[in-house]
Amino acid sequence: MARPGVEDGPEDRSLWHMIFAPTVWAVHFAVCYAVQAIWCAKIGGDIATLRVVLVAITIVALAIISFFGFRAWQRWDYFHDRDYIHGGETDEDRREFLGHTGFMLACLSFVAVLYVAMPFLIIGSCI
Amino acid sequence: MWPGGPVLICAILVLAGCDGPQSVLAPGGEDAFVLANLFWFLLAGAVVLWCAMNGLMFYVTRINPRELSERGAQALILWGGIAFPTVVLAGLLFYALSIMPEQRAEGDGGLRVEVTGEQWWWRVAYWPEGADEPIISANEVRLPAGSRSEITLEADKVIHSFWVPSLGGKSDMIPGRTNRMSLAPTVPGLYRGQCAEYCGESHAKMAFTAEVLTPEDFAAWLDAEAGPAVPPDTALAREGRAAFFAEGCGACHAIRGTPAHGRVGPDLTHLASRATLAAGTLPMTGEALARWITAPESVKPGALMPGYDHLPPERIAAMAAYLEGLE
Repeated sequence: MARPGVEDGPEDRSLWHMIFAPTVWAVHFAVCYAVQAIWCAKIGGDIATLRVVLVAITIVALAIISFFGFRAWQRWDYFHDRDYIHGGETDEDRREFLGHTGFMLACLSFVAVLYVAMPFLIIGSCI
Repeated sequence: MWPGGPVLICAILVLAGCDGPQSVLAPGGEDAFVLANLFWFLLAGAVVLWCAMNGLMFYVTRINPRELSERGAQALILWGGIAFPTVVLAGLLFYALSIMPEQRAEGDGGLRVEVTGEQWWWRVAYWPEGADEPIISANEVRLPAGSRSEITLEADKVIHSFWVPSLGGKSDMIPGRTNRMSLAPTVPGLYRGQCAEYCGESHAKMAFTAEVLTPEDFAAWLDAEAGPAVPPDTALAREGRAAFFAEGCGACHAIRGTPAHGRVGPDLTHLASRATLAAGTLPMTGEALARWITAPESVKPGALMPGYDHLPPERIAAMAAYLEGLE
């Protein structure tokens, strides 16, 4: 069932919006890795500041993932018709499929970013 | 026979493998204790999860087989399949990560041991606190109990990995890089280390003894190790010494206090005080020495030391007698 009064926009047809959250996860991983490597190789020493920087990057990544997860949740529109299977050849099925998948990928990415970030809170030195 | 008998016998045989000088489950140092605890903790958790999952499976297929509503099935997947593993894995990850800083702690005993992986033996240099030059040894690492020693790891041509399972975790040795780790042994005794990264034909035969001594014994041993070789004083050994130099062994091997200064092969200054020969491959006996000198490749495939099987056995026996006396 279509959402009353809402037309499908370009992002309701976009694969890119479906995989945005995992992309943030990948970028977060690469950025954290690079920041840590450069910090330890070129700046060194001050782990407390490094930790703050990495935690800040993580919070930004989680916020972006949450935002896109919420948008995907809206696209899935679960509470409206409680559709779990989207096999039809309709615009609505396409939108709900992309939303459903995007939402689950966002949940996965959220947990993954938390797991990636966990070492920052614990590791105490560059060596 | 009682049907559980074979199972019990197998269990005993398997558990017997958990002990010994090269076992993660028989820890002799702080780091190894932490790792063994991690193993037991994970094993206990795995057993609980296995019992719970199989118990649940048994319950829903045998004890109370009934259809689950779609909502019930979704809730089971959401909580049992996603939320529960996410939380459990986060807990395990946190626990495993929290022990890592300790594993990389800095040494507090003032001793640094520099180990270089060669094909297929270990170059070992001891740097006591304030030392200007190292005390060179090979194929054996001795450490004092009760303090944390720095271990720096290098490699000559290919990657190796330094691992004494009873004392701590392993670290790779990479050509052109200096890796570091530290070990804090607590229980004096003889342990076994093994190269843990495939490094060529004789990788499996690249082992070493790791001996943990009380701090007093260690200090005494290091003093003795720093000194020059004390050559054995028998007629056979003197003959062997002459043969050692006549055959050019000193071009590759060093024996401090003699003209032998080679650095290609292992330092032999106090060879006979080591527990094993050829990097943990042979016992330190005259016979084994003779066998090694005659045909190293028959003991360690690919060994770079040339064989001396063209020499008469008496000459080799004399060289073995000389080397066997280098305590």
